[in-house]
Formats: sequence, C-alpha cells, structure tokens
Amino acid sequence: MAVASDPVLTFPPDQVPDPEEFIQAAMRWHFGPETGSPYWLRRARTLDFDPRRDVRTFDDLRLFPNIVNELRDVPARDLIPQGYGPSTEVIGVYESGGTTGAPKRVAYLADWMDRYVTWSTGRMDERGHPRDAHWLAMIPSGPHLWGEVVARQARRRGGFTSTIDLDPRWVKKCIAEGRGDEAGRYVEHLLAQGEFLLETQDIGVLVITPPLLERLAQHEHLVKLVNEKIQVIIWSGAHMDADSRHLFRTEVFPDVQLFGNYGSTMILCGAVERAGSEDECVFDPFAPHISFSVVDPETGQPVPYGARGQVVMNHVSRSALLPNNLERDVATRIRPEAGQLGDSVADVSPVRTFDDEVVIEGVY
Amino acid sequence: MGGLRGGPMDAPVDPPAGGPIQLDALGSRGAFRARNRLTVADVTGQPVAELSQVPRLFVQRGLSALRAAGPAGSGALAEVIARAGHAFANGTVGGLSAPEYQRLVSRVSGVPVAVVRSATARIERAAAEVDRTVRCARPTATVDHWRDPRTRGGGAVWARRGDVFAVHAAGNHPGVHGLWLEALVLGYRVAVRPSGREPFTPHRLVTALREAGIGDDRLLLLPTDHHVADDIVRGADLSLVYGGDAVVEKYRAHPNVLTQGPGRSKILLADVDTGVGAGLSSALDTMVASIRDEGGVACVNATAVFVAGDPAPVAEAIAERLAGLPSLPPEDDKAVLPVQPTADARRLEKYLLGQADGATLWLGGDGIVDELGDGSAVLRPAVIQLDRPDAPQLGTELPFPCVWVAPWSPKDGVGPLRNTLVLTVIGRDERLVERLVDEPSISNVHVGHHPTHWMAPGVPHDGYLAEFLMRSKAVIR
Repeated sequence: MAVASDPVLTFPPDQVPDPEEFIQAAMRWHFGPETGSPYWLRRARTLDFDPRRDVRTFDDLRLFPNIVNELRDVPARDLIPQGYGPSTEVIGVYESGGTTGAPKRVAYLADWMDRYVTWSTGRMDERGHPRDAHWLAMIPSGPHLWGEVVARQARRRGGFTSTIDLDPRWVKKCIAEGRGDEAGRYVEHLLAQGEFLLETQDIGVLVITPPLLERLAQHEHLVKLVNEKIQVIIWSGAHMDADSRHLFRTEVFPDVQLFGNYGSTMILCGAVERAGSEDECVFDPFAPHISFSVVDPETGQPVPYGARGQVVMNHVSRSALLPNNLERDVATRIRPEAGQLGDSVADVSPVRTFDDEVVIEGVY
Repeated sequence: MGGLRGGPMDAPVDPPAGGPIQLDALGSRGAFRARNRLTVADVTGQPVAELSQVPRLFVQRGLSALRAAGPAGSGALAEVIARAGHAFANGTVGGLSAPEYQRLVSRVSGVPVAVVRSATARIERAAAEVDRTVRCARPTATVDHWRDPRTRGGGAVWARRGDVFAVHAAGNHPGVHGLWLEALVLGYRVAVRPSGREPFTPHRLVTALREAGIGDDRLLLLPTDHHVADDIVRGADLSLVYGGDAVVEKYRAHPNVLTQGPGRSKILLADVDTGVGAGLSSALDTMVASIRDEGGVACVNATAVFVAGDPAPVAEAIAERLAGLPSLPPEDDKAVLPVQPTADARRLEKYLLGQADGATLWLGGDGIVDELGDGSAVLRPAVIQLDRPDAPQLGTELPFPCVWVAPWSPKDGVGPLRNTLVLTVIGRDERLVERLVDEPSISNVHVGHHPTHWMAPGVPHDGYLAEFLMRSKAVIR
C-alpha cells in the first residue's frame, strides 16, 4: 500500500517550505522502514550517523558520503521508495553520459517529472517564452533523460516536438579514439536532418547542445533560418564558455533569446539560467529539491561568493535522495535568490586542465 | 658558476600603470577582448600582459570571414607590407614604442634584447623585400597573371594552392614572424595563432599591417588554447606549424601542413687541423658565433659539431670562448645569454645533465643555471664531447647555447649529418660538399666560414615558403 508522505515534500509550486522542515521530512521518508527505498535502507546500516536523528538542516547533508558511484551497479528497482506502494509510475530508467566510467542510472518517477516540468515551464513563462510553439530538439533521447523532459515541457506549453536524436556517447568515443573527423561527420549528419525541419516547419524553439550550436553557426544558411524562425534557443548538456555565449547573443543570434539549462542526471533535472544574466550565466536550481554548494575541492569548504570552486549537488524529493555529490564541474559561487537553499552557480566549466606544460626537447 | 655577473640588479620592469597590457584577439570585426585571458609573465614570474583566449566559435567565424574576403589586389600590397614593417620596427604601434616592445619581448621570452632588436630589423627588411623574396621562388616558366602575353598559345600561371593560410607561431624567437608576410603578399588571407610565451611580436605585426591598410577581414590574430588551436589548422587551406618532434610527427602525413621543427643545425670540420693553428682559430669564430649568436635559441643555431680528427681540442677551445659570456638580465644591452624562470631553467639543467651522463662536459658540468636572484636564471652554455658520430645525444636541441662535439671521419659518410636545417661545412673536399648538397634531409649547406645562422631575404630558410603556397597552372587562350 502507498503511504502518505509529509505534505511538505510536495509543497505547491507557489509556496517555499521551511528548509529544515523539508529536510527532516525527507529523512523520515527515505529512512523510514515503511517508506524508504531498499537501497537507502540497506545503505543506512553502513552510515556512522542516523539520518533521521542527525540530518536536520541543509548543511547536515554534508554528512552523507557521495554515493553516486554505487549507482553504476544498484538495480534501479531498489532506488524506488517503498512508500509509493506497488502502483508507482516509473517513467523510465535514465543514465549519466558515462564520461567518468560506466554509466550511473536512476529511476525516474512520474510525480517528480510533473513537479519539475511545472517548475521549469513556470520559469519559461516568466521569461516570456512562446506558448503553442513547435519545438525542434537536437538532443539525446534514452538512455539519457533530457529528450523525455523536453518532450513533456513542449507538450505542457501547448507545443509539439520534432526530434533529431543525438548519441553523445558515440561522439565521445570517436573523439577519445582520435577519430575527430568521424565525430565531425556525424554532427554534419545531424545538422543536415535539422535543416529539413528548419526549412519546412514553423519552429519557434530550438533545443540543442552548445557544441552542436557552434557547429550550426558555421553554416550561414542555418544561421539565417534560426534568426528568422526561432524565438528561443534552449541549450544544455555541455558547458558554454562566457565568450562564446557573448558572441552567440551579440553577433550570431542577435534576435534570439538564449536560455541555458545546467542539467545533470544526478539531480534528475536542470537548473535554469537566471533572467537578466548578462555578463555571467547564472543558474538557479529548483529549491529546495535541488541545491548546490561551491566548494574548494581540497578542503570541501565553501569558497567565497564570486570565487571559483567545484560544484556539490543535492537532490532531495519524495522520489529520490541523491545527496552530497561532488560533480566534476567548476563554477563561480553566486548568492542565491531569496528562499533558495545553498548557492547559485555561474560560468560552469569542466575541471580545467592546464596548458603549456614544460616541454624539454626542442627550442619552440 | 663560472659566468661573469653584471652589476647589482635593479627591478627591471615596473608593473605597468593601469594593470597588465591587454593583448586582444584581432578578429574580422576588429579587436576582441575575451573574458578568458592568459597571463603572460616575465622571466621572474611577474605578470606583464593578458592575452585574450578566443573560443572555437570566434575562430570559426574568423576563418569564414577570411574565406569570404577576396584576395587583396596585388598592386599596392607589397608597398603596404613594407610600410607596416617600417612602423613595426620603428614606430609606436598599439600604444607601444619600438624600444618598449623590444624590452617586453626580452623580458617575457628571456631572449637578449640585442637579439630582439636585430630580429626587429630583420622583420622590417623581410617586409621591405617580400615581393622580391617570393619572386625568387617563382618557377622561371610561369607568369604572374593569366593576361600575360605568354599564356597565348599555352603557358603557366603561378597560382595559389588555397585561399586561407594559418600560422601556429613559435615563441622562441621573434624572427619567425618575418616569414608569413610572404603568404600575405601572395594574396592569401592569413590567420596567426600567437604563442602564449611571446605574443607581443605577432600582435604588433598584425596591428601594424592593419594600420597600414590590410583589411580586418584578411588578417587575423587568433590567440587560443591548445584545444582550439587544431581548429585553425583544420579550417585553413594551408598551414605553417612550428613545434617540436611530436608536432612534426603529428602533421607528417598532412600535405597541407608545413612544419618547422627543431633545426638540429650542425657544423662539420672536415679537414681542419685541430691543433692550435690559424685554421682552427678562424673556424672557431664561425663555430662560436653559430652556437651563441641569437642567444642560442634559434633553430639555425648549431647544436652539434663534427670533427674529422680529435674532437677534444675543438671542444676545449669552444668551451674556453663560451665560458666568459656574462650572465645578465635579458633586457641588458650587453646580454647575450637567454634567461628563463629559475624552475624552468633547473628542469632544463636536469635534462641536460641526464643526457650528458657518461660524456665529457667541457662546459656546464657543474650545471648551467646562474640565478639572477629575482626568480629568473641565466642559461649558461654547455659544451659536451661525445665519442661516436652516431651518439643519440647529437639530436638534442635545447634553447640555449649547448653544443655536442663528436668525432667524424669520411668513412662515417653523410649518415650522421642527416636531418639538419643548416650545415656549415669547413673543408676543401668538394666531392663531400657535393654529397651534402645532394642529401635531401639537409635543408641548407653553408660552405666555409659562414655561421649556421646566416640568413638573407631571397635566400631560402627551409625551402622557399612559396614553394608550398603556390603551384604552376596551365593556361592557354
């Protein structure tokens, strides 16, 4: 039988719950013998603290170990809180991109999808995004989450979606094996398919990754079509550096609204670009379900506002608990908006590698 | 260390008022100051400038603009380049006077300022004579334009192999920037990616050319990190890439990429009496100049000396001459040796001593690092004697005066002399000279007392660049 959860976990979209009440309710839910998932109930026995007793505040989430690597092996079914009962609606099992090894996977529940789509499309309304528009999504579908989310966002907004599927793992594999030309051919193949849609359909929203958008920008014809037809470009899936963003906004697509999303499978959604982010692209998460900290990777302590550090992510909802995950991304720590837990982040980039190591041989 | 020291050190470069100098990218729509910038530090580690690092998108848009721009009319082009060369060498460009520019190059690259000054003059001369230089490369049967009367009834026109030319520049010596002017005068649209070590020279030269009238859509400065650098080569029709062995190997199979790698320039004393006679004395001048002029940082500096006879007295004599060079900060007028941050200098020293293990060090055995006390260190010369002409160390090229001296005899043949940018051969055996000139892996042969670093406009450095840029095309009308 399904068990009712504390209503604070399913707060209405226009009400921000008290953070401590919210965290404590989540701990009761995920670690209650009747309601918690088999995974967390098992895992709790190995923790040196009692989440229901010791995790009272947002800061206490730091007590948790980073468990995401265990998601490479855990059966997805074991991640579903038992409190949902036998009739849980699982939309799918989605995977991380596998950049840092074997993919990690999560179970995605319908009630969380509904909450996220409601929240994210609310942000689109605030920014004046079109309703009833036709979307073109040149992004990955399963095993990745993004395609499913976008299809539902478009539907919620009265639009419909054309998709050109993109397999990011194949692209990464090509590049890792030194077959960059093959990756390039694949990208051209995707753009050629997108071109048919842009030419023939009345598309208003383009959903795309920054590398693909960059490639698109090399084709004058496509740039012209996008400037003529598209009202909003939603980008996510990879970082966009501040200089490229500036060039896209001012030179390449001056009449199109760019809307960045900072997504991760490990938070089961994306954070969205703050309206009015001019010089730096600030992402605000769906608080309090999603929260970020920006920390010094050496000490784990928060860096000052405005400084760069590594991003720690938390997902806390009725459907899942994914706390204290140190992502490989680096970002600038930004003051949150009122009522938000944790930090906002700006100018996200992958952990930087250093150039120009000293080469001994030769004079150049 | 045995080197002579200059006087007490003054603080050589004051931090520029108003913060570090901004070296912007020079794109098709003018200067672009990126948010992502590389700090360019002097040899003590003090920040001097910030070099904008453009993203891939900027590179691609720039290359598209180059492609969209037609070739410039050839008439006034040579004159524009000559005027730019004069301003580059003598004027105030981008707010920097020529002496300020030279001092900055010296301070960030560690190359002695006198070397920078002569490189500046050489670039001016290359610009003034660029038209004549490319004409030297033109096949005699070809004409410049299809309308030339000689194409009636069939003839050859000298034509470009592409439209867009890219340069991955080196930072070891400012002189490398004299070369790509030839592509410009041939009508190529050019993108230069500066080295992060010494971006001042290409920035100044591109700025001077733009001020003299080369359109912003025909000449770009695209500073980028190494992730994006490959895009410039991929996006251009033809490229010139400077680098070490790894870079040369990487592009070996690319017919549209010309590499300029380590020079491994050599001197062969083919039949000089290696006693203390007059023969050795004048050869010594040539050898020492080849090793130490240009601060020893150029690919045309000699890194190996082969001696028909006993190499020991030759190594000893070279070492004696090089030992007395002063250790001075690079911007000192009397400086002749290169300077690097101490940590980098120590790494080079460790590498050298590892390579020289088991050999006879006539100079440098106690190390080659002479610290100036401000975080930088002079790289002092090294002279190492080897016992075989095929010793592997003979391929070691380091960015300071460092020479490997080995025995050679006519029965060793040309083998040990292969893979050489410039070979100076001192001796009377014309049949040997004949074989050396015939050897494909030796790019240039200097016969007699001409140092390896001798260069002149119109004389090829590593073939004529135009041999790579142009081809002959049949036209009949």
